[in-house]
Amino acid sequence: MILHILNRSPSSSLVYRDALAGMGPEDRLLLVEDGVQGALPSQVRHFEVVGDRLFALREDLVAHGLDGHCDASVQVVDVDGFVALTEEADKTVSWF
Amino acid sequence: MRYALLVQGAPYSSQASHSALRFSEALLARGNRLVCVFFYHDGVYNAARLAAPPQDEPHLVDAWVRLNEKHGTQLQVCIAAALRRGLLDEREASRHGKSGHSVEPPFELTGLGQLIDLGLGVDRLVTFAP
Amino acid sequence: MQAETVLNGDVLVILRHPPHGSSWLREGLDAALVAAAFGQTVSLLFQGDGVLGLLQGQGPGPLGQKGSSATLDMLAMYDIESLFLDARSLARLGLSTESLQLPASPLEPPSIAELIAGHRLVLTF
Repeated sequence: MILHILNRSPSSSLVYRDALAGMGPEDRLLLVEDGVQGALPSQVRHFEVVGDRLFALREDLVAHGLDGHCDASVQVVDVDGFVALTEEADKTVSWF
Repeated sequence: MRYALLVQGAPYSSQASHSALRFSEALLARGNRLVCVFFYHDGVYNAARLAAPPQDEPHLVDAWVRLNEKHGTQLQVCIAAALRRGLLDEREASRHGKSGHSVEPPFELTGLGQLIDLGLGVDRLVTFAP
Repeated sequence: MQAETVLNGDVLVILRHPPHGSSWLREGLDAALVAAAFGQTVSLLFQGDGVLGLLQGQGPGPLGQKGSSATLDMLAMYDIESLFLDARSLARLGLSTESLQLPASPLEPPSIAELIAGHRLVLTF
């Protein structure tokens, strides 16, 4: 399992498509920084193929004022959870 | 686990440095080791010793230095990316006939080969980019 | 053809930015050259606007900025011969592999994921 880390929102950059193209069936995707906008119910459809392997970083959601607006399908993790995801993964790939 | 971070964003221009520092604290708190932070691309500006942010903002350069002092994390800066951008330690400054230097220990200018060594040598390399 | 393509190695460098507008492509290629010089098997994946980094006819900028075409010519000298591109990225730009300076194998998403999984270290630029 590879952890893919995305820091751009689907409404501002197409890099999410490249990230999705690079993901294997077990891989996980973590939204950080501006990427957490992708967790909005209006945006989350872009990540439909990721299913329950989609995560968003709580600290960035909170900083953006988006923690109350997160789609229910997204698993919210704090930075400790971010580290745990990297520990569980074989490696990480950052998309920006 | 042994970690290394690759920071490619300039401080105060992007969130990359903040995210990397926050991640550093969290990985150390979980009992992991942070072997090295490698700075490349605009990330080399994190080593600017003359950075003087306002007092009510986090001092990122100092935060990296504290990481080195408390946890022995090496702070390595790609020399080619740094020289182009005006980031020179004392040795490079004198070699290039410059009257001042902009990088000082614990930041060290080093070759890009170090990044490859790190990436293949540690358990996890995590990239923070702008 | 793709079934015969080797999708693994030590270091994969993903290049997602076009030449000239930023230094991402040049600094990414530098990382690939250094990895190869250190004896690692290196693969390159050109993706997104990064596929423009392969385009024939690119040159230096008006102030003499190097661009990346000279570096591309050096890849073979460093034994970097595993060049891949995201087929969808090239199609999105309306370009074909015939307009490229170097031959790169077009990959579709499942193979791109395999390529990433098949390398010990993946660096994105």
